Amino acid sequence: MTIQECYATLGGDYEEVLNRLYSEALVRKFVGKFLTDPSFQLLEDSMHAGNYEEAFRAAHTLKGVSQNLSFTRLYQSSHEITEALRTKNYDLAAQLLPTVETDYALTRAAIETFQHM
Amino acid sequence: MAPKGEQRYTILVADDSEMNRSILRSMLEESYDIIEAEDGLQAVAILQQREQEISLVLLDIVMPNMDGFGVLSAMNKYNWIDSVPVIMISAESTHTFIERAYDMGVTDYISRPFDMMVVRRRVINTIMLYAKQRRLTAMVNEQIYQKERVNNLMISILSHIVEFRNEESGLHVLHIQTMTEILLKSLMRKTDKYKLDRETINLISNASTLHDAGKICIPSEILNKPGKFTKEEFEIMKGHSQMGADMMKGVPFQDEPLVKYAYEICRWHHERYDGRGYPDGLVGEEIPISAQVVSLADVYDALTSERVYKPAHPHEKALAMILNGECGTFQPLLLECLVESSDIIQREMAVDTVVRVDQRAMENTAAEAAEMMQYEELSAPDRTLRILEQERAIHHFFNSLSEHVLFEYTQTPPMLTLSPVGARLLGLEEATVDPYHNEKVKQIVSPDQLAGLAQLLQDSTPEQPVVEYDCDICLNGRTRPVHIISRAMWSADEKPQYTGAIGKVVEYQEEEEKH
Repeated sequence: MTIQECYATLGGDYEEVLNRLYSEALVRKFVGKFLTDPSFQLLEDSMHAGNYEEAFRAAHTLKGVSQNLSFTRLYQSSHEITEALRTKNYDLAAQLLPTVETDYALTRAAIETFQHM
Repeated sequence: MAPKGEQRYTILVADDSEMNRSILRSMLEESYDIIEAEDGLQAVAILQQREQEISLVLLDIVMPNMDGFGVLSAMNKYNWIDSVPVIMISAESTHTFIERAYDMGVTDYISRPFDMMVVRRRVINTIMLYAKQRRLTAMVNEQIYQKERVNNLMISILSHIVEFRNEESGLHVLHIQTMTEILLKSLMRKTDKYKLDRETINLISNASTLHDAGKICIPSEILNKPGKFTKEEFEIMKGHSQMGADMMKGVPFQDEPLVKYAYEICRWHHERYDGRGYPDGLVGEEIPISAQVVSLADVYDALTSERVYKPAHPHEKALAMILNGECGTFQPLLLECLVESSDIIQREMAVDTVVRVDQRAMENTAAEAAEMMQYEELSAPDRTLRILEQERAIHHFFNSLSEHVLFEYTQTPPMLTLSPVGARLLGLEEATVDPYHNEKVKQIVSPDQLAGLAQLLQDSTPEQPVVEYDCDICLNGRTRPVHIISRAMWSADEKPQYTGAIGKVVEYQEEEEKH
């Protein structure tokens, strides 16, 4: 699997990220690093614990990170849950969480496959 | 003044996401030293310790423990925001968020996702702008200081000429000046009757040095007569106040407050509060405050100085004699000022007077600069900055139209800027920091040849700054002989410093065709 295919699988925009970061090596480096980013786990845990303030920050960070990496799909869902949490619409946030979980799992799987090639 | 040598700027990156910090680090670490903070509290702690060395803060807004607004509050509270620029980095695009950040003093805003080119450009622009502003502020301060110094020096030289003929040391005028300043400052604290402010006090104490200017019209055998004056001689001596006043009326700057005060002082510094002085016999508040104060200072200094006919009296004795009315009558409020300033007078009179001239210039510079800061909108540095920015815009525009390789190199920070066409032909970015150590630059032109050009430029002079140089450069992927016309940039310092160069690279063929 190439980095382009990896982006295609996780619903991202490789051209866009390459235009911004200027080097494939950097893109690879940060894509790899994404696996160690704790914000998704923090979001999930905080949602389950009902700690919505922490959940907001975690969602916000996840959104920022996926935006920086042009993970368009994950960016979309994390953006939506961030806004729900910002406006304290916790029911909506709970409804949106599974989508974020699905997108995150998809992203993670694509990166892991890419890395093990 | 301007930082010299190769300086690496330090940037504080405050973002709670390790990923984001790491992306910014990889974009910037080639040219800058990076310090990271994981939240607002850490950022403030780092600023507290290292504010002086940090040239820029890249600040995220949503962070745990303390958010970006908290950091901005702290930066405002401790005035760090005046010297350390902040660029906000955030996925927040809400209008009110951004506006609030600008209100709190951020210079610029970078939204996610980060674009390497935009990040680098905004960072260098902001750092340069602040560096420039600091440089300009220092320059303006330096100029005010020099102006004050020269003013004080001229007045002091002029008064020494008067004293010289008087066969006195010249210390007398400086003592009068110091005393006048002390008494007026004390008076200003006591009453607002005389509308005294720093500027007025400064003018009156400068003018005080001219109080005896009229004495240059007195024949020297009378002026320096060792014994007692005859009645006729004393009448001639007394003429010095009127003559000094006439001189001041004769100078062409009648609208200048300094001249107005000098006139008052020359004419009326021998008047007495009870009306028994000369030349006009003015009574009480008819005597301008400038002359009243100088009169008291004059009497005090005469008492505490040694004269042919008397020894120097100690401070306490002089004070007692004045208060007893043995040396004229003065306004009671002024006598109060004298008594209350007793300690300062004794201390200041002992200070080396040359040092005082400098000290006064320095104090005034600081005060003037502080006043200017209050009118930031109208201040000279601000206007100058705007003009500079405009120049820059013009320069950029012409640059973008040119079809040649145009370059600009600055020593501090070491940076090479190329015209858009130039950047494309050379395969470089439009701005390259530290070009001498840049691998890409080394591939385009050999370090030896680059050093040769640099040497040629540094050996030029401000009078003849233009040099021409032939070398080989890799243009569009092919190494070609080129002709470089370049102009060295020299600072306007007394000892001009080489600050960089501008120039144009012409391919040999192309030039031959034209000729």
